[in-house]
Amino acid sequence: MEYNLEITDLEKKYQDFHLNHINIKLPQGKIIGLLGQNGSGKTTTIKALLNLISYDKGNIKIFGKKSTELTKEDRENIGVVLDDSFFSPILNVNDINKLMKHFYQHWNEKLYYDMIKKFKIPCNKPLKEFSNGMKMKIKVLCAIAHEPKLLILDEPTNGLDPIFRYEIVDLFADFVSNKENSILMTTHITSDLEHLVDEVIFIDQGRILLDIPKKQLEDEYGIIEVLPEHFNTIKKEEYKKCLKYKNIYFILVTSKQEFQKKYPKFEIRKPSLEEMMLLLVKGE
Amino acid sequence: MYTIKGLLQKDVYVFKNFKGNIIFSIVMFLFLITMASFQMDCFLAGSILFLIFFGMNSISTFSYDENADSDKYLLSLPITRKEIVFSKYLFVFLNSFLSIAIGILVSFIITLWVRGTVNRFADSLRICCLSFTSVSFLMCSNIPCIYKWGVEKGRMQSVIIPAVFIFVVGIFGGILLLLFPEIYQELDLLSLFKISPIICLLLNILFYGVSYMISYHIFAKKSL
Repeated sequence: MEYNLEITDLEKKYQDFHLNHINIKLPQGKIIGLLGQNGSGKTTTIKALLNLISYDKGNIKIFGKKSTELTKEDRENIGVVLDDSFFSPILNVNDINKLMKHFYQHWNEKLYYDMIKKFKIPCNKPLKEFSNGMKMKIKVLCAIAHEPKLLILDEPTNGLDPIFRYEIVDLFADFVSNKENSILMTTHITSDLEHLVDEVIFIDQGRILLDIPKKQLEDEYGIIEVLPEHFNTIKKEEYKKCLKYKNIYFILVTSKQEFQKKYPKFEIRKPSLEEMMLLLVKGE
Repeated sequence: MYTIKGLLQKDVYVFKNFKGNIIFSIVMFLFLITMASFQMDCFLAGSILFLIFFGMNSISTFSYDENADSDKYLLSLPITRKEIVFSKYLFVFLNSFLSIAIGILVSFIITLWVRGTVNRFADSLRICCLSFTSVSFLMCSNIPCIYKWGVEKGRMQSVIIPAVFIFVVGIFGGILLLLFPEIYQELDLLSLFKISPIICLLLNILFYGVSYMISYHIFAKKSL
């Protein structure tokens, strides 16, 4: 299997935060979602792999090369969306196109304007007059219009309304459909990942809590909602995490078939990514 | 080189945003220089006015970059830290150079038109060179401060650093004057003034070179 991105034992220490043993392997044709609450280490991971910050330990390889040794040609194959950073808001869509033509040898002007047209983005208005959703769309278009092989997206759906989110998520699904491209995206909006990702990584306080293919998660993981009197009948070793909310215990099990055999009276349902995140982070 | 062109263009777009103000200022300056030229020779004052007003404006592009956190985004594209810093220096230099060049040209034309001649033209050009070098000194001490501390804090530091530098040079010169008064007696200031364009050229190379190296050193290690 060929990997577009490999992060091995990445560590970065700050005074009050420690990104600890981050391991991510992103194969071609796949989408990995890095999921965690604000301040969990998602953006630090992205910054490290883009060489925006130095890191203390570990190894990052992109297209099989160390990230610090990538040539300009290699970097042409990467598209990036950063949540909090872009061109000056006084530029407009046409200005950005002219600049990108200078920065990327393979900038596809036609594709850029086709998508601008598709998303109904005005060309002569400065960015400062756009909504957050529109700005994010332009960021995404800029990341895609040079036809990269790897997309690194930091909170790409932040600030978008559901319709915009649907359109952009659809764009990402289309991007990986050639089985060569891949996407690493961070988000704290779990619903965006539900139907998109192939693998999901839950991260909290700089540590990976769970790294699991989406299919395995759907097949094996389950959630049971029980009242306190029933909760006491379940052994601790039978479940991974539990969380009490409004006098109901939410229990996360990692092998729903086995659990069902032992406790046939409980109804097990598929967990959403939001519930997974909540239980993994807040559960006991 | 294509990337540098793009980075320069990015900063030009920032200026484009003020084109109304710039055109208004130019028209106002032309009017003032023309009016004043009826009373006195304004070639020198006009040239320096353009340099100071337009030449030092390039620092504002740092503000725009900082507000949008553009450097972080640019580094995620196929652009190196070296190219970002180099393009900034090139932009600052070209902007200052064009400002004084246009200032000299328009002041020359207006003075010639109103007064028929430009008094002590060669000496005035030498003073323009000295002014340009002074502005270069200020800008070159400003840019590393901005890279180190950001635009707001950097501006404060960039007032202090040249002031300290000038103070130290003044003290050093004063001590030299007290200890070796003969040096100053032998110093031919007129000859120095005559070769001042060459001295200015060398000083500009020194200021820009040293400042660029300091800024690059700071930016290369900066976490974004």
